[in-house]
This record gives sequence, C-alpha cells and structure tokens, in this order.
Amino acid sequence: MKKVYISLFALSTLFMASCSSDYLDVDATESIKTEDIELFNSNEGAATFTTAIYNKFLSFDMSAFSWVGLTSIASDDADKGSSPGDTGSDKDVLDALTFNSSSPSVAEIFTANYAGINRCNQAIDIIPQLDKADATVRARLVGEAKFLRAFMYFTLVKTYGGVPIIDHLPIQSSEDDRIMQLTRKSKEEVYAFIEKDLLEAAAVLPLKSSYSSTEVGRASQGAAYALLAKINLYQKNWQKVVDNCNLVTGYSLVSDYASMFKLAGENDAESIFEIQGTGSIPAKGIAGYSNVQGARGAGGWGWGFNTPSQSLLNAYEANDVRKNATIIFAGTTLYDGRVVPTTVENPRYNYKAYSSSYTDGWETDANIKYLRFAEVILMKAEALNELGQTADAVPLLNQIRTRAGLANTTAVSQTDLRAAIWKERRVEMAFEHDRYFDLVRTGQAAAAFTIHGKTFVTGKHEVFPIPQVFLEQTGGLSTQNPGY
Amino acid sequence: MRNIILGLIALVFLPAYMSGQEIKGKILDKEGLGVPGAIVAAASSNSSTDTDIDGNFSIKANVGEMIKISMIGFKTVSLKATASFMTVTLSESKDTQLDEVVIIGYGSRKKVDNTTSITSLKAEEVSQRKVLNASQAIQGKAAGVQVISSDVPGSSPSVVIRGLGTAIGGRSPLYVVDGMPTENINNINTNDITSYEILKDASALAIYGTRAANGVIIITTKQGKGDKVTVEVESFTGFRNPLKKVQMADSNAYARYTNAALGTATFSENQPVNTDWLDAVTRTGTYSQNNVSLSGSSENIKYFFSAGNYEEKAVLDGLNYSRFTFRNNNEYRISDKLKITQNLSFTSANSAPKPLDAFTSAYKQSPIVPVRFSNGSYGVSFVGSDGTAGTAGSSFNNVGNPVAQLDYTDEEQRSITLQGGLKLDYDISSSLKFTSQFNGEYYSWKKYNYEATQEIFNTYNNPGNLSTIVYPADKNINSLERGRDQYFNWNLSNYFTYNKLFGDIHDVEVTAGMETSVRGGRERMTVIRRDVNANSNYWSLTDVDYAGTVTSYKDDILNETKLASYFGRFQYKLLDRYLFTGTVRRDGSSNFAKDYRWGTFPAFGLGWVISKENFMADVKTINLLKLRGGWGKLGNQTVPLNNQSYTSGLSYYLGGSILNEGTTINSLIDPSLTWEVTEETTIGLDFELFDSKLKGSFDVYDKATTNVILYTKPYLTSGITDPTPAEVGEISNKGYEIALRWDDKISDNLSYWVGGNFSNNTNKLASLQNSNISPIRGGNLGNGQFTKQLDNSSVGQALGSFYVYEYAGIDAANGNMLYYNAAGEKVVQSELKEATDKKYVGSILPKSNYGVTLGVNYKNFDFSVDGYGTAGAKVYNGKKAQRFSGENVEASLTTDFWTATNTTASNPAPFNQVPVASTYYVESGDFFRVNNITLGYKLPLKEGFINYCRLYVNAINPFITQKFSGFSPELNGDSDPYGTQGIELNAYPTLRSIVIGANLKF
Repeated sequence: MKKVYISLFALSTLFMASCSSDYLDVDATESIKTEDIELFNSNEGAATFTTAIYNKFLSFDMSAFSWVGLTSIASDDADKGSSPGDTGSDKDVLDALTFNSSSPSVAEIFTANYAGINRCNQAIDIIPQLDKADATVRARLVGEAKFLRAFMYFTLVKTYGGVPIIDHLPIQSSEDDRIMQLTRKSKEEVYAFIEKDLLEAAAVLPLKSSYSSTEVGRASQGAAYALLAKINLYQKNWQKVVDNCNLVTGYSLVSDYASMFKLAGENDAESIFEIQGTGSIPAKGIAGYSNVQGARGAGGWGWGFNTPSQSLLNAYEANDVRKNATIIFAGTTLYDGRVVPTTVENPRYNYKAYSSSYTDGWETDANIKYLRFAEVILMKAEALNELGQTADAVPLLNQIRTRAGLANTTAVSQTDLRAAIWKERRVEMAFEHDRYFDLVRTGQAAAAFTIHGKTFVTGKHEVFPIPQVFLEQTGGLSTQNPGY
Repeated sequence: MRNIILGLIALVFLPAYMSGQEIKGKILDKEGLGVPGAIVAAASSNSSTDTDIDGNFSIKANVGEMIKISMIGFKTVSLKATASFMTVTLSESKDTQLDEVVIIGYGSRKKVDNTTSITSLKAEEVSQRKVLNASQAIQGKAAGVQVISSDVPGSSPSVVIRGLGTAIGGRSPLYVVDGMPTENINNINTNDITSYEILKDASALAIYGTRAANGVIIITTKQGKGDKVTVEVESFTGFRNPLKKVQMADSNAYARYTNAALGTATFSENQPVNTDWLDAVTRTGTYSQNNVSLSGSSENIKYFFSAGNYEEKAVLDGLNYSRFTFRNNNEYRISDKLKITQNLSFTSANSAPKPLDAFTSAYKQSPIVPVRFSNGSYGVSFVGSDGTAGTAGSSFNNVGNPVAQLDYTDEEQRSITLQGGLKLDYDISSSLKFTSQFNGEYYSWKKYNYEATQEIFNTYNNPGNLSTIVYPADKNINSLERGRDQYFNWNLSNYFTYNKLFGDIHDVEVTAGMETSVRGGRERMTVIRRDVNANSNYWSLTDVDYAGTVTSYKDDILNETKLASYFGRFQYKLLDRYLFTGTVRRDGSSNFAKDYRWGTFPAFGLGWVISKENFMADVKTINLLKLRGGWGKLGNQTVPLNNQSYTSGLSYYLGGSILNEGTTINSLIDPSLTWEVTEETTIGLDFELFDSKLKGSFDVYDKATTNVILYTKPYLTSGITDPTPAEVGEISNKGYEIALRWDDKISDNLSYWVGGNFSNNTNKLASLQNSNISPIRGGNLGNGQFTKQLDNSSVGQALGSFYVYEYAGIDAANGNMLYYNAAGEKVVQSELKEATDKKYVGSILPKSNYGVTLGVNYKNFDFSVDGYGTAGAKVYNGKKAQRFSGENVEASLTTDFWTATNTTASNPAPFNQVPVASTYYVESGDFFRVNNITLGYKLPLKEGFINYCRLYVNAINPFITQKFSGFSPELNGDSDPYGTQGIELNAYPTLRSIVIGANLKF
C-alpha cells in the first residue's frame, strides 16, 4: 500500500511540475499567430507585406465607386449618370455638392486610405526585422511602403485637409497613440510628412527601368520624384516642382494617346505609377471599377455612373484626339468592335475605365494611371510659368498639344499661359481622379462649377467633410471642416 | 420511495482516545437483506469500517460506546455497542434533507450541511418524461433553471440558470458527467443517470472557477448495488404529432385574397386543388426506446452494464434519428483503503436531417399548387390563363415545393462519442483521502449531403418539359459534400479530502487539489465534389483521383485549449448547526495572453440550521429551518478570443502575370482581455414543516457580470476594420426562486404529493463604458429585416430584446399599415427612419418560469402530472413577417382584411412589399403547458423470474395554453438570444406524444 501511496504522490507532483507557465502555451492551428514572424523571414516573405499595400488599391472602397464619386462625379467633368432614380447611395448629392459628413462615400475613402496606411506601417515595422531577407530588398520594400504611404496621405490631405498622422503601428494601451489616432494635424504638417516619406523612398527606390520584368508595377524612384513634384505643386513651391520634375527621367510621351487606356498600353513608356488590374483567372482587378462606370441599360454592361459632362465635352477643341479616347458615345463602335447601342441609358460614358476582354466583369484588366509623364511635363510648364520663365514653359505645353493632334498654343502672357496649362490639364487628365482637387488648387472651382450648373461654396467645398463616424470617435480631439 | 445508493459517501469520523475489543454485527434492511457498504463508526474509539457484501461488520470499539451506522438511503442510527453479535435493521429514510446527500463538485455533502443552492434531481425525475436529452426532461422541475427545448430529434435544449449573464460569450452551463467536463449530454442515456444536480449560486459554483458563470450541472451515472444480479428492462413506444397547428387559407380563400391584393383576377376562385401543405410534409411521428441494464455487486466489485436504443421517425417527413448507447460502470475495491472506479460510455447516433424551412415553405406555399402535377412532376407556383396552377404560366411566388424540398434532401450524419474515466480513491488515514481521476472524451462525426442540382433546377424551371430553359452545360449535374469532424478532450484531477471532528463540535472538511482540462484541437474536413456517380455505392472508389471534381476543400484544426487549476474548499460545521464554506479556485487558461491568463475565484457560504437550536426544540411543526447565504466570483472563459493573426490572400499582380501573395494584420488586440467575471450574492431559506410533509426553499440572488465583452469599432484611423472585443459592459440578473412540495401518505395504499416552483429574474444590460460599440444586429428574418439589436442604446434593456418599429394600426383610407415615428406621428413604412424610429419592445427572455407537479400512488397505480410555464417573454412571428405577395395567409386573415368596402377591418390591405420588422409581429410568449402525464400500474407479481413489472402510459405535452398565434411559443432557434431564438421561422413545432411502455426487473 505504501507503494501506491508514494506513486500517487509522485503522480500529483508530476502534474504540479507540468503546470509551469509553458504548459498553457498552446500552438495556434487555426490561424497564423503574429509571433510566428519567422515564416516571413525571406525575400519573398518580406515582399508579402508590401504586396498587401498594393492590394488595397484593388478594393472597391479604395478605388472604385466612392473614389469615382469624390474625384469625378463631384467635379465638373462628370455627372452622376445611371438611371435618375438610382442614387448610388450618395452619388446624387456628390454630384450636386450637397453631400455632408454622413455621406457614405466620404467615410469610405477616409477609412480605406487609413486601412492602406496601416498596411504601410506594418510593412515599415515588420520588414526591417526580417533579417534573412537581403538588405537591399528590405530597403526597397520599405521604400515602396513609404511611397505608398505618402500617396495615401496625399489623397487624404487633398480630400479632407489636415488629418491625423499615423506614422507607426499604434499600441492599444498607449494614451499617446490614442491621441495620435484621434487628433487632426495641420495641412502643412501632413505635407511635410509626405515630403519626408517621399525623399526617403526616392533615396532607396530603383529606377523603373531597373526593375526586372517580374517586378513591373512597383513604385520606382521616378514615381517618388513625380509625386514630390505634385506635392510641391499643391504647395506652390514652384522651384521645387521644376527640380523634382527634372529628376523624373527615363520616361517619354507615347505617340498614341488612346493606347494608354488599353491593355497594350499598360506600364508603357509614359507610365510612372499605375494600379495593376488583371482580369484573367484568378482575377485581381480593381473591384467594380469598370462595372460601375460601364454603360447601363439595353446593350450596356454596367451601372452607368460617372458620365462625362457637357462642360467637359465643351472643353475639347476640335480635332482633339483625346475626346474620343476619353468618352464613349452612345451609338458608336468601340476600338474592339463593340457597338454601343443608342438604347443605353446615358449619352456618354468613361472610356478610360473600359475593359475590352472583361467588359462586364467585376474585376477587370483596367488599370488606373495615377502618374504619367504628360503630367510631369505640365507640372513643369506650370511651375516655370509661375517662376516667370513663360517662354520655357510654352514648348512643354506644346509637346502635349502636338500629341493630342492640336496646334501650338497661342498663349504668350504668363496669365494666358497659366489658363492654357490649366485647361490642358483638364482635357489631358480627364477621369484620372485629378479634376476636383485641381479645381480647388488652382482656385478655378467657383467659376467652373457655375458653368457646370452647380454651386461651389468658397470656404467650404475646398475640402470634403471629416466623416461624422470618426468625429464621434475623437470625443472632441478633432473638429469638423468649416461649413459642414 | 427508496433512495438510490450513491457511490460517494460522506464520511463522519469521531475522535478517539482508546481502542477496545472487536464488535461484530450485521446491518439489514427491512426486508432482512444485508446492507453492504454501510458505514459503521465508533465515536470514542475513532474507528470506522464498512459493511461487507452481506452486511456484516467488525469494528474495534468498547462495549457501551456509541456506534453510529450510516448509509445513504437509510436513516442514520446510533446505538450502544454490545459484546454480543449486533443485528441492526435500518429503516429507509424518507427524502428528508437531514439524510439526503448532494454532489458538490470534488465531493459530496449532506444536504443539511450544505450552505449553497443546489437542486438535486433523482433518476426517476430525469427519466420519467420520455425525451432524448436529460435537460429537456427536467424542464420545470428546478426553480431558477430555464430550459428552452425543441423537439427536433437529436437537438440540445438551451439551459439558462439564474438569468443570462453574457452577450456574446458562451451561454451553456458546464456539464460534468462522472467527472468529465463537457458541453453536451446528448450522448447520455437518461436511464443511466442516477442524479442530476444543478449548482446554481456562486458559492456552489466557484469550485469550477472560470467555467462556472453559466452554472454547472453535475451528472452521475448509475452504479451496481445489491447482492443479487439485477436485470432491468425498459421499453416504450410512442406517437407524436404537432401540438398546435395554424389554420391556413384554403385555395379559394387564397385566390380571393390574392386577387384582391393584386387588383386582378389572376386566380380562379373555384380551384380544383386544395393542398394542405403542412399535412403534405408531416406524418405521425413514432419513437421508441429499449433499454437493458444488468447490475449488481459482490464483495469487491460493483458493476453496471446498460445498453439502450432510441429510434425516432420524426413528424417531418423523412427526418429520422437513432441513437445507440452502451455503458459500463465498475467499482473495484482493491483493498480496505483503495477503490478504483471505472466508467465507459459509447454512443453512436445516426440521423437523416431534413431542412426545417420546409415548415416555413409549407406555411407560405399556395394551396392551389398540387404536391405533384398530373404528369408526375412536383407542383410549382405557376398560374395558367385559367387561373389555376399548372406546368406552364407565370410564376406567382418564390416559394419552393416543400415536398420536393424534403425529397431532394439526401443527407446523413453519424457520430460516435466515447466517454470514459478512471477514478482512484485511497484512504491515507481515517481522516485523509486522496482521489485521482482521469476522464477522456473522444468524438467522431461524419456526414454526406448529396444534391441533385440539375434535377432540382429542372423541377423548378421546367415542370412540364415545355420551357425552353436548358440546364447550362457548365453547371454541375450534382454535388456531394462530405464532412468529418473529431476531437479528443481529457481531464485529470487530483485532490485530497480531509475530514475530522474535533472536540465533538468542530466538524471540518478540507478539499484541496489540482486539475488540468485539455480540449484537443477539433479537426474538421469538408470536401465538396461535383458530378459524382448517381449510385451512392460508387461515390468513393479506390484508386480514383477525385482532385479534378473537387469544388471546395476545407481542412481546419481549431486551436487546442488548456486549463490548469488549483482548488480548495474548507467546510466547517460548529455544533452541528453553524455552517461555513470557503472555496477558492485558481485557473490558468491558454485562451488568454500570457500575463493575463491566471484568475482567482473565491467564494464563501454561511449556514445556520435554526431548527437545531435549543429554543426550537419545542417547535414540533418545524422539522428543518435553515438559513444560508453566500457570495462568490465566477468566470466565463468562452468569450471571443483576441488572437491576432496574419491575414493572407491579399494578392496583387506584378510583372503582368505574376500573382504576388500579400499579408497583413487586420485585427487589434487588447492583451488584457480575459474571462468575464460574475459576482453573485445569494440568501436562501430551506424548511421542512409538519413532519417533513411540506418541504420548501426560497432564494434571493443578485448577480452582476461586470466586464461583459462586446465588440467595439476600432478607430477609423487605425486602418483596422475587424471589430475588437473589449470588456465594456455590465449585465445584471436579480431574482428570486421558490420551491414547495407537500408529500403525504394517507395510508399504506395511498400517498400523494403536490409541488411547484416559481422563479423570477430581471435581466438587464446595466451599463456600457465604451461609446464605440460595434452593434450586434440579430434576429435576421432573411428578407433584409433584423429584429434585435445590442448597441449603446440598449443600456437598461434585457438581453435579447426586440428592436423594431411600433405598429400604429391601419390607415382607414387605403388599408396601409402605419407605424409611429420618433415624433409619435403615424407614417407609412417608406417614411420610417431606422436611426430614430425603432424601439425596444421586450425580450425573448421570460421574466418568470414556473413548474407544477402532482402525483398520487394508490395501491399499484401511480399517477403524476407535471406542468411548465413562462411569462413575460416576447416572440416574433417570423414566418408571417416574411410572407410576401403570392404566398398563403392564415384563414382568419382572408375573412377580414381592408378593402374599400371594409375600411374598419382588423387586418391591413394585402400588400406587396417586405414589411418592416414591427410590433405587428411581436406577440406574447406566455404559455402554460402540461409537460407530462404518467399513469403506471405495477403488476402484483409474486417473487419469481420477473420481480417487478410496471406498465405505463405517458402523455407528453398533451395540453398548452398560449397567446401566440403561431405554432409554438417555445422557440430555441439557434439558441442564440441575438440569433433566431424567440423567432418562429423555420421552427420545428412542439410535439404532443402518447407513449406506452413497461419497466421490468428480473
């Protein structure tokens, strides 16, 4: 009996010993725990964190309906389109400039960009820890993440004015981080943050031409400088615009404007940075981008939103090749032979969102060209003109006009050339998500909206409202934009 | 009625200062049979022994010393030791609290000495109502315990003990079956249960620590007893039908109503067909159970074997369920000091499920549609130019053919559950005992689900072979889903029990031990294949690679969870009447972050047996009066976990055709997130009056869950979109319980009892500290309408509250339904604003539950009735609210609805839009139902081959009174108060069953 007694005691002691602190550490099997970072400790693993950022640009909330609504439908380039009764949740109020802080599109763009920024912050935090990845690869991937973070903060600052700057992964229990997430910074602080990111990115990113064919689409040094130039442009820092445009090298205008918006023109010589959509299976396209802007009604293939406005149509000079490359007219035949019957609901649609191979697909091969060399030329022209070097600016503008099949500009004075460049930007970059911000930047908004038949309230409509949902979360740490 | 002898015995040892001679004797019951296992204790000599198999004992004691003989089920006797052979006849105890023993977790306690609130139900109460699951059987029998059951074969009822204390955490009580913690007791044959104890208050529950907040139910299965082999057979068979039906419109009334709704004459008002769809999908259910058990004991072994078979052909056509159980419980007395108990249970369950939405379809499908058209194809809702249903014409609703729905469902599930354990009890000394117990549970489940996709398509699109719609070539002809699921859980506990009486007045019992509980990773695999062989025998051929036909392949292993625990309990009794219990459990759970995984759950209880005070000695009417109270802290660790993980699948093409994989983290974690903590204070009174004829208890409690976990919305700027669980709320449950029972024996031939219990609970979301709750929207009707909500506006409301618009009657001008908006104006549904106009209109949780029981034993007859009711709950008539144009309506509606000539009708004009969720469909869930009537007759048998034979007739749910206009106000749904619980949608009706059966003993 003693033996039993002893062995029982041994058993219980054994159990006691096994109840050490490790005993309760169980292996995760249903999902990959964040502690298992070693799984990603390689060049390929490190790259996945950056890939996830690019992936965010494919999401519907980031790049499709709401984004089209804010940048195009709200502008004088486009009308809501679609059926009169279909509001597209709030596209009618965007079109009419009567949106408010509860409009879903306003909240969606805010949320989506911060979701992208969170992925950037993760990449910037995690990738340097992956010591089995090449140092140069890590530096480049972090550079890409910084470029993309700057890109998204630029979207936010254009859209909402000053916003909270989340420059690292917040710690939940940190009061400082809570305040960081809830407090708006000034517009200037945001621009300074963007500029810093872009300079750091430009220092490590390779030239577009030095990426191998399997890396096409990644952010390059040229993209960083081009975006820097654009930020300088928004801050009217003219000399820096010129300097940074000069650093964007290795690009050229393609001869056929229309080709840029077809499959064959993806990542062409003019392209500096674009979002890559692929329609072939497994499809990874910009969700809904082609579809929401596709022709609606009998013979159509989409929801029919974001239709080119009369104001835009009027802006094209005769013989401008860009008109028919930008606008699908009902009753015409497209480049791939598709006939758009007159039975579609709207007279005009956005050609730049059209996918020939996956016309009615939700995820298509349509790309979004965010930075093109043509814009670099126009930015440089504008900056030179503002610096008083009008004569140097004229040939730059004419390069763009020539490609469009138009005669040289007749503008000579600084004022006339300024107007000519601004107008050129409109027709060159219509539906490339620039117009609304460009109108605000250049101060043309009030006049342009009058022509468009809408009322732009100066002092209010320069920025969109901060989403009400977010303001409620801040508990008073942030305030609404004026007028909302 | 003789009490069942329990395996566990409360030992009472008395102090000693000397030892004397050998005293010998025999303990007999009133029939003169030896009583084995009785405890014989000599108070002064501090010695004790058990009687052997024949009831004999031998103990060292002094002549003249008091010997105490105790045995569960018998009255304890104290008498002087004699030198001559002592023959002691024990008399059976009545069920007085003085002798009853309750299981308290890691031990047992005489009920009179227990300071906590435990309802103890015995075998007959668990097995009397002929249902599959023991928890359904005890409905209405325990105060403070709400059981919401469903008659779906093989389903598990929801059990809520003293109110719901969590919003999104686990709600189910912890079941402990012979020491094995488990979540489901569907594998336990109710005939094998000897006791079913419900631990209700914190001071009883704290010994189960972080798993105790929803209450604990301890189930003990039978042991062998007696010195003869006993064979028991129980067999019954029964018939089942829906307890209540809803009278639906017949085909002409349907045509009239629908024509009026459409403003056309689409339907002929002289229909050739009048289908009663509920009849078409149901049949008279039959079920039967057969059990055989063999038990007995010898000097060193107690054994119990049982085998049971349950079969049900359910009322829903084609729905079948069967369960086979086998159990073997043995107890080996290895030596005087060492006892090993072993139990093993094997359960195999098979079922052929059918979709319960066939009930909703039957409710909605038009009676003008025949079950089958004359050409043999299933009837579908096409109306021809003659206004009758036919194979061609235009479709007039989207409801499937309920009969086809059942016929096309080809699904089978099989499960095997193995539960077993080994328990070792070792008496280290007369006061100190060591117990070690290991239990394991293995579960394996598989299913197949075959869908004849093409055939179903043709049924609905091509009923008369006239349609030009051709089945698309790229679609699958059929699909086959196969699922597998298995896990292994185990539990090991080791503890010491020390029991000693000091100085005759200080009775101390200390229990201390450790436990670990491991829930193995659940392994699940689901494969879906297309275009399999039409012959089910040839679905799984050897040497065939099916990779090409696989359309979905899921293979997951859920995280293992572990619990490590230390527990201790100190029970003290002074002068046999002042009671104190202190309990503490320390649990470490692998569910939580390293620094936050250990928690301590203390509790105490106090008791005062007033009736043992001297000043009560003369009060003869009071046999027992005990005041008790306690406080404790409990945890609920089945809360949403806060694991942060990598999200993959965020891929992007680079370089044209190269798909790059993307990874991110889309959740925030609050590492400090831990179990929900419930604190409870309770006071109770137990009493027995009038020679213990009247027994009762009264309890008041106040329970607060202080860190209720809900999902919160991350800051928009965090970039995280997944909601984050956080400890943000407080839920309060306050209530009282009364249980009373009167037992009387008028003569040897006639005895009777009357009893009842009533409990009232007020449930409330007391507060929310965070203003950023991610709302729970529940009670989805599947048509875009949800009926329940929990968000910041829910503070002060009961959990499971309906959140709908308030119906304001009919617009006399046009028959439209009107609703009140926030300003109190009557508006139509298109003018309602969801953000402001919805209201909380009552919860699915009843405020009170009550049960009644009465019974008579006259000569060889026994008769008993049990009833159960609830009050204060609301239910939602979901199938009515889901109804759409072209679907059938209740018969009562067709006779009184708004028309231009009947503007004062009580029902709105027929309409053709999805109605908003409103109080129009919220009805009172109050009901009272007779749960069970039993009439039994014992054949007057002489001692022979058959010792005992009782024949009985049971009526289960024979009557109900309810206010609800639907089928059943008892709606367990998905058992989630924010799911379909309390909503009659795709709900299985409550059944009325008539059962005949027999118990035999050999």
